[in-house]
Amino acid sequence: MDKKKSKMKRSFADKLFTVCNTIFLAAFCVITLYPVLNTVAVSFNDGIDAVRGGIHLWPRIFTLQNYKTVFSQQNIITGAYISVLRTVIGTVLALVTNALLAYVVSRKQFLFRSQLSLFWVVTMYVGGGMIPTLILYRNLGLTGSFWVYVIPGMISAFNMMVMRTYMEGLPGALEESAKIDGAGDFRIFVSIISPLCKPVYATVALFVAVGQWNSWFDAMLYNRMSPEYTTLQYELMKLLSSVMQTGGTANPGAPGAAAAVTPVTVRAAATVVTMLPIICLYPFLQRYFVTGMTIGSVKE
Amino acid sequence: MKTRKLTCVLAALLALVMALGLAGCGKGDGRNEDGIYEFTMFIAMPGSEINDDNEIMNLIAEKTGAKVKETWLTGQAAAEAVGSIIASQDYPDFIDGGDGMMALYDEGILVPWDEYLEKYPNLKEMYSDAEWNSFRQEDGHIYWANVFQNTYGESRATTHNDEAFWIQARVLEWAGYPEIHTLDQYFDVLTRYAEANPTMGDGMTVIPYTMLCEDWRYFCLENAPEFLDGYPNDGSVIVDTSSGTPTIVDYNTTPTAKRYFQKLNEEYKAGNIDIEFATQTYDEYIAKLSTGRVLGMCDQWWNFAYTVNDVFKQQGLDKQGCNYVPLGLTIDEGMDNRWHTYDDTLNNSSGVAVTTSCKDPDAAFKFLNDLLDQEIHDLRFWGIEGVDYLVDENGLYYRTEEMRTKAADKSYQASHFCNYSYMPQYLGTSRDGINAMQPAEQTSEFFEGLAEPLVKCFEAYGAENYPDMIGSVVEHNAPWFPMYSFSNAMTTGTPGGVAWTKMGEVKHEWLPRVVMASDFEKEWGDYMSAYSAVNPGAFLAEMQEELNRRAG
Amino acid sequence: MKSKRISWREIKRQKFLMICTVCFVIYGIIFYYLPLGGWIMAFQDFKAKDGFFGSKFVGLEKFKFLFSDATFLQVIRNTLAMGVLNLVCTFVMAIVFAILLNEVRLMAGKKLVQTVSYLPHFLSWIIVTGILHDALSSSGIINELLVKIGIIDGPINFFAHKGYFWPIVAFANVWKETGWNAIVYLAAITSIDPSLYEAATIDGAGRWAKIKNITLPGIKPTIIILLIMNVGNVLNAGFEVQYLLGNGLVKSVADTIDIYTLTWGVGQNDYSLGTAAGIFKSVVAIILIVAANQIAKKTGEDKLF
Repeated sequence: MDKKKSKMKRSFADKLFTVCNTIFLAAFCVITLYPVLNTVAVSFNDGIDAVRGGIHLWPRIFTLQNYKTVFSQQNIITGAYISVLRTVIGTVLALVTNALLAYVVSRKQFLFRSQLSLFWVVTMYVGGGMIPTLILYRNLGLTGSFWVYVIPGMISAFNMMVMRTYMEGLPGALEESAKIDGAGDFRIFVSIISPLCKPVYATVALFVAVGQWNSWFDAMLYNRMSPEYTTLQYELMKLLSSVMQTGGTANPGAPGAAAAVTPVTVRAAATVVTMLPIICLYPFLQRYFVTGMTIGSVKE
Repeated sequence: MKTRKLTCVLAALLALVMALGLAGCGKGDGRNEDGIYEFTMFIAMPGSEINDDNEIMNLIAEKTGAKVKETWLTGQAAAEAVGSIIASQDYPDFIDGGDGMMALYDEGILVPWDEYLEKYPNLKEMYSDAEWNSFRQEDGHIYWANVFQNTYGESRATTHNDEAFWIQARVLEWAGYPEIHTLDQYFDVLTRYAEANPTMGDGMTVIPYTMLCEDWRYFCLENAPEFLDGYPNDGSVIVDTSSGTPTIVDYNTTPTAKRYFQKLNEEYKAGNIDIEFATQTYDEYIAKLSTGRVLGMCDQWWNFAYTVNDVFKQQGLDKQGCNYVPLGLTIDEGMDNRWHTYDDTLNNSSGVAVTTSCKDPDAAFKFLNDLLDQEIHDLRFWGIEGVDYLVDENGLYYRTEEMRTKAADKSYQASHFCNYSYMPQYLGTSRDGINAMQPAEQTSEFFEGLAEPLVKCFEAYGAENYPDMIGSVVEHNAPWFPMYSFSNAMTTGTPGGVAWTKMGEVKHEWLPRVVMASDFEKEWGDYMSAYSAVNPGAFLAEMQEELNRRAG
Repeated sequence: MKSKRISWREIKRQKFLMICTVCFVIYGIIFYYLPLGGWIMAFQDFKAKDGFFGSKFVGLEKFKFLFSDATFLQVIRNTLAMGVLNLVCTFVMAIVFAILLNEVRLMAGKKLVQTVSYLPHFLSWIIVTGILHDALSSSGIINELLVKIGIIDGPINFFAHKGYFWPIVAFANVWKETGWNAIVYLAAITSIDPSLYEAATIDGAGRWAKIKNITLPGIKPTIIILLIMNVGNVLNAGFEVQYLLGNGLVKSVADTIDIYTLTWGVGQNDYSLGTAAGIFKSVVAIILIVAANQIAKKTGEDKLF
């Protein structure tokens, strides 16, 4: 009798939980969706009209002009091509190297485990600054080339640590049996650890891909005079940046001073253009960390 | 199996990248296969790029044998961008380094102009010898030329491209076009109008007065005391010549400054000033002006007019008299005002330069020279005859409404117009003696675009254009003008430079507080003690030193 | 087994790991440690024309300048306060969000919510702050709502009061990054053995109990590691948000180290000062993570190194 009562109580609590949870998440969705929808609405609104503000979820004067402006931007095709290339190559390279490094520092028996970790952790918090880095890349022959996008930032201590933590949490039984079979560290990495790490690989791949896709500063800094290596984001940033100009009075009489401030509507359209590919890519990665892998089954 | 597929994909991608890398090579002597020079240029200011297939760019290339690919500042400060270009040693052929010009000179990568000035007459003609001399650096050579505010022949200025207290034309019309000379009269008209007409047609309440305080744009609040005292826009200081020797005066601490802020404080308390003035962003400020609700504000023309006037036109607010006209206010009645600068302001701290990376500097200077040819200059600023403008029987250039609309379209600009906006250019009168060098200054064009209430307002005050409206004293610039060209270049390397930056921070924080204070006297006293604590004397001393040097 | 002995035999046995280590260390030295040579600028009066070798050495003058400036001490306080507040808020929210999302049974709903939640990450700060400014303005939705409910009599000018600034910044961060930050935890949750939940259900555990006893312990290592790493980032409270939301009235609470560096370093073409501020940040960050790591070690939690 007691058991039945507690079960009923529990199912009521569970139901209450579900209701509250649904309400909470729905509210959260509305709040987070609003800025996105607002951006989309603004991107379809007439530029001059939008200056007046007050556009919420629907454009006041509909136009496709902003998208026309974005796509008439010089070099946008080259930029898109390089962006896709750097995203693919950069993600693959980063995934392989970070995973390998994470594997090395996740080996409990490894002699220099904590020293190597510390070596990488430090890199997260120190930096030589823009100018020394630029001089280094120039001397390495990386400036004015595609490789500056994928080689320097390849290993990130943050991503590596996320992977390492995941690897350490994996059940050790399989690995032990592989060791008994005489498998080396490399074999264990490739055929035992990696297949189990799909969710974390997908996570890091997403982080790296988004980072690669969104970055523009490197394109400007290292390939300023090499338009053949421009990226989509840099081209769009050229549209966006004028509003972030932080200082200095405009050159008196310079025509650029006023004209260079990009209308909010074009900024919005550029934002939508950069978001779209990521939104399309996401469902492919999402299944790895939403569905919930049944890795428990490998344990047996 | 899976890994092999992945390897294949990777290999293909790598091959693609390699091919890409090779495609970028083979630049030669800077000329393309048609024998056209393809120069590159970096401008340390934000701007819009010109498309490669731009029609006028290619027309100019046919005529002059050269074209320029412009790259603009993106998401960096000018000095920072120049610093990174120096570090990468990847220089364009032409460069305008803005605030970072001196760094380029120090690096020794600029080509001296001297010999080319003798060779190319159009370049030589840009400035008088004395003006050219002001561009000379320590080593005696000229390395760059500023391209703006350079009037050829008679001045054609129609707008007041400076600071002023602005007021909507409808307010003046309602009040019967009174003479307004002081702050008291100004606020009196604004508040009376607001009482009589508290709302706009669409029900929004009017805002008698607002001011922008965001970041560097806080000049809208900050530097009026200099003008109210009847001094010109030296920017950071007043230069007082009443004693015979020019002396630096700090406009932040004058009695006029106190009276100005006290007036603002009173009006704020009376509810006549936008309560959000201190926290609004530039976007919000422009949005507010664009609704036509704001009756008056203090601002520079270029800071609001280009955007706001377009909206007024689109929304029909210009017909209702929402356009702003400038008033030349002074602190007391009967003083001269110097809000408008009639002469060109020669800013010799930056301009266009040719770098040592340029493979054929002679061709580069020849191109600069060609750009000043009247034919090319017309192509750059007016466009193609018959397409972008028409010529009447008297040789006067004019545009139809359709042409004007087209010329304002951004994507048409990118694919058709090519004004090389940071290359040598003129304002004023064309060499034909009839037209203006640039369409914006063509009197007929100016009147064509003017809304009815503005025309009436100008008529009522007997003015033909904006400069007449503000009625500043017509005089030449003093030899030291403008002093801001020195203070802008100050660094924290000197005590004066440190003080200058700190003064800015103190004012930024305190001025809105002073305006909003419930006890003005107390707040003003606190502000003054915070202000003197950052040692403005050090700054003023360095300014005086520079003034003595400039006054010679 | 506890203490590892470095012997040739052991090194040879770990041949593969050793080779990898050598490669990674060389890579790290080139790309992360070599540029640190630029730190020399902090002890110079660096001028681009003189370069690293020609510029005048000024010793600790730049550091003296920083620490004798009352404003710098103020911006350290602001940076720390906002850094800690942001860390706590975004951290807690991401975990809560991940766990709650994991409790959603309906797969389509789960996917939808997740997709929506991470979208704001792709909006630039200028857009997000623009919307926030709009919402909090005197005629904005928040004021309208508060007045309607009767909590306040007239609209509040949120950006004019120093007290609201830090919470607003924290909210902006939570708003923009919660969904994105939650991805790591969602991935971590997938590594939890589902049979544990089944067993708990059979034992009659409720959902709270399962969250408390299975989910949370399951992602604890991830939480600890991310916490340690983020503790090192508290001085990177950012620049854009504060710059875009700040104004003269709240300047004394809004300016961060990065804004200070921009005003005094980059803006004045003074790389040395910026570098000195950067070194200060790095040193503090490393001290903080070493301390956090020691604490984790002492309490027997997972550690970073």
